[in-house]
Amino acid sequence: MPASDVQEDYFRPPQNLTVRTIATVQREILQFLDKTASATIELDDDCQVDISFIQLMEAARIYAVAAGKQIALARPASGPTLDVLKRSGFLDGMSAEDLKFWLHQGGIQ
Amino acid sequence: MSFPDPIAVFRTEAAELLEQIEAGLLDLNVNLGDKDQVDAVFRGLHTLKGSGAMFGFDALAAFTHHCETAFDRVRKGEVPATQELVTAVLEAKDHMRALVDTPNGDHEATGEALLASLRAAVDGANNAGSSGPAKTAPGQNHFKIRFSLPQNAMANGTNPLPLLDELRELGECRIVADRSAIPSLDLLAPTDLYVSWEVELLTTQPRSAIDDVFIFVMDEMQLEVITVETSVAAKAPAKTEAPVTASQPAAAPQPAAAPVVVLHAAAPAPIAAAPVETKQNKASENVRVPAEKLDELMDRVGELVIAQSRLSQLAGGSGDLQLRAVSEDVERLSGELRDTMMVLRMVPVAHLFSRFRRLVHDLSHETGKTIELVTEGESTEVDKSVIERLADPLVHLVRNSCDHGLETPEERLAAGKSQAGHILLSARQQAGEVIITIKDDGRGINRERVRAKAESSGLIPPNASLTDQELYQLIFHPGFSTAQTVTNLSGRGVGMDVVKRTIDALRGTINVASHPGEGSEISLAIPLTLAIIDGLLVRVGDGRYVIPLSAVEECLELSIEEDMRSRGRSFISLRDSLVPFLRLRDLFRTGTKPDPFQKVVVISTGSERVGLVVDQIIGDHQTVIKGMSKLHHDVATFSGATILGDGDVALILDVGHLVAEGQQQEAHLRAAG
Repeated sequence: MPASDVQEDYFRPPQNLTVRTIATVQREILQFLDKTASATIELDDDCQVDISFIQLMEAARIYAVAAGKQIALARPASGPTLDVLKRSGFLDGMSAEDLKFWLHQGGIQ
Repeated sequence: MSFPDPIAVFRTEAAELLEQIEAGLLDLNVNLGDKDQVDAVFRGLHTLKGSGAMFGFDALAAFTHHCETAFDRVRKGEVPATQELVTAVLEAKDHMRALVDTPNGDHEATGEALLASLRAAVDGANNAGSSGPAKTAPGQNHFKIRFSLPQNAMANGTNPLPLLDELRELGECRIVADRSAIPSLDLLAPTDLYVSWEVELLTTQPRSAIDDVFIFVMDEMQLEVITVETSVAAKAPAKTEAPVTASQPAAAPQPAAAPVVVLHAAAPAPIAAAPVETKQNKASENVRVPAEKLDELMDRVGELVIAQSRLSQLAGGSGDLQLRAVSEDVERLSGELRDTMMVLRMVPVAHLFSRFRRLVHDLSHETGKTIELVTEGESTEVDKSVIERLADPLVHLVRNSCDHGLETPEERLAAGKSQAGHILLSARQQAGEVIITIKDDGRGINRERVRAKAESSGLIPPNASLTDQELYQLIFHPGFSTAQTVTNLSGRGVGMDVVKRTIDALRGTINVASHPGEGSEISLAIPLTLAIIDGLLVRVGDGRYVIPLSAVEECLELSIEEDMRSRGRSFISLRDSLVPFLRLRDLFRTGTKPDPFQKVVVISTGSERVGLVVDQIIGDHQTVIKGMSKLHHDVATFSGATILGDGDVALILDVGHLVAEGQQQEAHLRAAG
């Protein structure tokens, strides 16, 4: 199905996206992805994030590709999410696909 | 007296530095081995970073620091300059401009992405570089570290981030997360840690300092540390200097600085020739003046010229010799003041042309064409307001040449041309006008396609007889495009319309020449100034009009006999050539009888001439140009108005339009035999 025909659905995870709540978030995202062809994740600007969430999103991307679904962030990573990406060394060595997903930087060659 | 806002001054200097950096990068792109340009770009970045930090533009300083570091490595021979690196820094330079203009804007994500590109470019250069690795500084240790924490580390309360932060505190550090072990979401144990890390570290600390970082998890983790021999050439870590601070809050936002004209400055010196020290020496020779102050001064001079004109008129009608003498002095002085003012407002077109190097560089990438831009006549000076308004039309014309004019490398080779397409951007002065020419050696304008499109859209009747010039002028019609596909560069038929409207508004003319397979040439003839001109004041009927003196070739008398003889043909013989003329009395429908000794003012634009029949030539007149009201926007015969000494308004004749009308009249008469 062409990308433009896919109905986008928005998923808004809780504010706490750390190892304490990550199991719940995983369950909710899995359920959400099973119901939609295209999931857009809306992160709160003030959310709490640690590496477990970054890892979870990477796992969700792998899952979405395998299931023929689309997953994206509603906005480029910023604030705490960007900070964790930076500190954890995810930004270094990002592929164009990674840049597009996390930072919405499709044009960067 | 008000002192200049230091933030505004910084913004102006930053804009100049960024221009110099861009010019240096574009030069470097042509010759990647040019060490002078590498040094120059490094110096520019270094100065920008330092000044930015000083004025509270912390985000700019932090971001620029990474580019400076990259160029420092190039400078030291640690990595070679590559086109990828130049492109990455060019993109970064655009971001720096945004950080200067809106320091509190939401630039974080863009900055991070650009830094990632920069790091990739540096890494690529590092891998490709034959000069290879850096030497570790004396006393420094170079470690390569791989580690993974226990799988249950997070569940047990160990957060990897502080450990990574501690590593960074040891020295220059590059940390890359290895995500290859992360499974699909349905297989993920969410509290387990799947990520491992690779680290390159330059530090003065001993190996034991690394162990100390992991002291509480050492027993269960995997840690591999390789000491890279310091005496042996080894790859240095990309000096990304971990706490990437592109997102640091910057100083309070300031309004964007007004454009500034540097008085007495020549064309911008190449960056290599303008190190900081030299710039400081030059400071005493130049005065930085906000452009709006110059505009204000120009307005005052304009008012003075009008007042002087009034004084002259009063003095002329008075028998007071002393008053006349004073009036003549004031006239001379105001004329000199006007000339000085005009010189102050003149800016070399180099300022305008320099931006097209970047445009062509980017378009070359976008279109996949090899394009070489040559500029000529950069020292030609034009009034600053003209320069500002020429930018947009030139962008459209250059884009058009790149997108439609030049062929692909394959097409060029097949046509027996060089692989690289050429665009010439030149400027020269000619009789009170500046001629800007955009010339390419591409495929040329397809006359048949232009005609077909014009006929199909009803612009011209089928099989209409048109000269080349008339036909080519159709490309400036709104919505006119012969492009078969619309690209993101051009093809919507909007750009050329913008060109036409802007050039018309500048009282300029457009000339198009094209040869199939050889290329096209578009020349823009623009008045040097839009503020005050020398005019010839004439009377037609009861009205007075100004003809720009720069267009006047000569004045002749038209006797009643000659006038009668020429009725029906409207030609005068001028040194064995026939020159068409227009009777302004008829054109303006004054309803008055002609004076017994009418005058013909011969005006020209380049090689085309036309005579204007007037009733009386009053004399020269310093003409302060005032715009026409919106109500008279579409009156093509006049380009503006001026206020005379007695308070009356005189209309300024549009020379280009009148010459074109005269030429048209000639063509019709010739066609009629």
